Amino acid sequence: MAQALIDLLRETHPDAVVSSHSHKGDEVAVVRREKLQEVCRFLKEDPRADLKLLAQIAAVDLLTYSTESTGGAALASIEVPAYDLARKPAVEPRFQVAYNLGSVARKHRLRLRVELRSDDLKLPSVTGIWRTADWWERYVYDMFGVEFVGHPNLTRIMLYPEFVGFPLRKDYPVRKRQLLIPELDFPDLVRGPGPGPGGAGVPMSQTHVGRKNVDPTTYD
Amino acid sequence: MTEHHDPLALEAELPSSLMTVNLGPSHPAMHGTVRLVVTLDGETIVDAVPEIGFLHRGFSKSSENSTWTQVLPYTDRLNYVSPYLNNIGYVMGVEKLIGLHIPERAEYIRVLTGELARITDHLTLLAAIGLELGAFTVFLYAIEARELLWDRISELSGARVTVSWMRVGGCANDLPPGWGEKLRESMVRVVELTNEIDVLLTRNRIFVDRTRGIGVLSGEEALDWGFTGPCLRACGVNYDVRKAHPYSVYDRMDFEVPLGSAGDTYDRYFLRIAEIRQSHRIIDQCLEQMPPGPIIVDDWRYALPPKKDVFGSIEGVMAHFKLITEGIQVPAGEVYVFTEGANGELGYHLVSNGKGKPYAIQVRGPGFPILSALPRLVRGHMVADIIPIFDSINMIGGEVEQ
Repeated sequence: MAQALIDLLRETHPDAVVSSHSHKGDEVAVVRREKLQEVCRFLKEDPRADLKLLAQIAAVDLLTYSTESTGGAALASIEVPAYDLARKPAVEPRFQVAYNLGSVARKHRLRLRVELRSDDLKLPSVTGIWRTADWWERYVYDMFGVEFVGHPNLTRIMLYPEFVGFPLRKDYPVRKRQLLIPELDFPDLVRGPGPGPGGAGVPMSQTHVGRKNVDPTTYD
Repeated sequence: MTEHHDPLALEAELPSSLMTVNLGPSHPAMHGTVRLVVTLDGETIVDAVPEIGFLHRGFSKSSENSTWTQVLPYTDRLNYVSPYLNNIGYVMGVEKLIGLHIPERAEYIRVLTGELARITDHLTLLAAIGLELGAFTVFLYAIEARELLWDRISELSGARVTVSWMRVGGCANDLPPGWGEKLRESMVRVVELTNEIDVLLTRNRIFVDRTRGIGVLSGEEALDWGFTGPCLRACGVNYDVRKAHPYSVYDRMDFEVPLGSAGDTYDRYFLRIAEIRQSHRIIDQCLEQMPPGPIIVDDWRYALPPKKDVFGSIEGVMAHFKLITEGIQVPAGEVYVFTEGANGELGYHLVSNGKGKPYAIQVRGPGFPILSALPRLVRGHMVADIIPIFDSINMIGGEVEQ
């Protein structure tokens, strides 16, 4: 059933589909980034496709896909990423963004995939097509740093604005530390105006007296 | 007083300005740790911005650094009121990657425990919406019913909530002798308590006034926002993964998918009660139809060998050792697997590179897209309506914030 969907897509947008395959029961179409919005709008609005449900946007970083070590010591080691990175060949296109789509009326599924090079991590936003794309795109931006051009509010969603790096990239160490964030300097009803913990001259908290901050390059 | 002031006017426009109010993150009615920044004009909500992530535990990152089996306890903690359903969704994904078919009895046990979990999840919603609208009795009834089921679940898995009981290829152990009968008896009481809640709330004037016509969404718009599960069906859209894409043995079960029409808080509440009754039907059918037989595949590449073989044969020891240290060797591939969670479509996007660890896992918690529509649902309503709307979408912090 979903094969018909891919045929339809190839027929109407011959220059948008790079390749397509069926894998373990999932139908996948790899589309060109420039055509993504056009393809999405077509798939949502055409009654033959009717993919009105954007279930999820997921991303994959392929950096260590073929070099990752396995088993025994490597499983327990926190240094796995560093070990892998030292031996990494350049992987391009490094990122894949997958759009898992579904149709309620026609009961079929399709996964659109866009491949991205690490030096040009930009994708057109599909928030204008599915409202739910808003948070999913923020999620992928938060975790992978993919920039969605045209998104109305592309900010971090799970993490805080001061967070450095993108945690689901494979070159982000599992147990990397982050800087402690001082409280914002704003008038507090209880404490009165002035700097809060971590602000000028005030220690971060009782456990951090005499310590300015953590070293983000170390592991805990 | 200005000279234009009319001393005879009885009504004059009260000058007012917008006010910003913080709800949460640590507020008992915010179910977990969501912060809601609400802009109010008087008591009317002009805008609301949900801020999530206070409960972010790095589910994906932790999972990518564990073996496929070690991920299982993390999935429990995604939705901590229906952990079985998360377990099932995840192991089904791994089995799809491997191409593994599990024994029939295990399929039945999965459907059975999954429906138990669905009931506990719905009872949590009923308890919360009752309590937060002032009906404490409802809370006590729902919690009594839920505890009853958690007793049965703990007899099965040894834990009330964080069960980690499913395994790739089946489940951890068989049902204890006599457990089915006990469950039947408990279900009678659970349905009785659900009926009590139904009687107390469904036609209660105060409850109906507080929920009917509040937080309305049309079916089309709900789908656009990525709604699934009871929240989508409350808008009249007939979409249930168990019917649309039957997995496990759901195609052998005789049950209905209750539908709402108005798409308001009241419908979202009432669908939960209707679904508990349907789940009860499924549980009864499972207990009746369940065939005897093995509960886990007899393939030592994926499932731990029985203890008799581990201690009694060199092959058993080796299989055990390799499974524990190296993990299940899942073939390379990428799948998206989706099941009907208690609050909607629970999806896992799994990528394997064939080296014993999940290469990438991303979860689609059904609450995530639903919570993103909260501003749309509450806008224009009164500040007191936030709580029933928020209750009726039954957002679970664990799966939303991962």
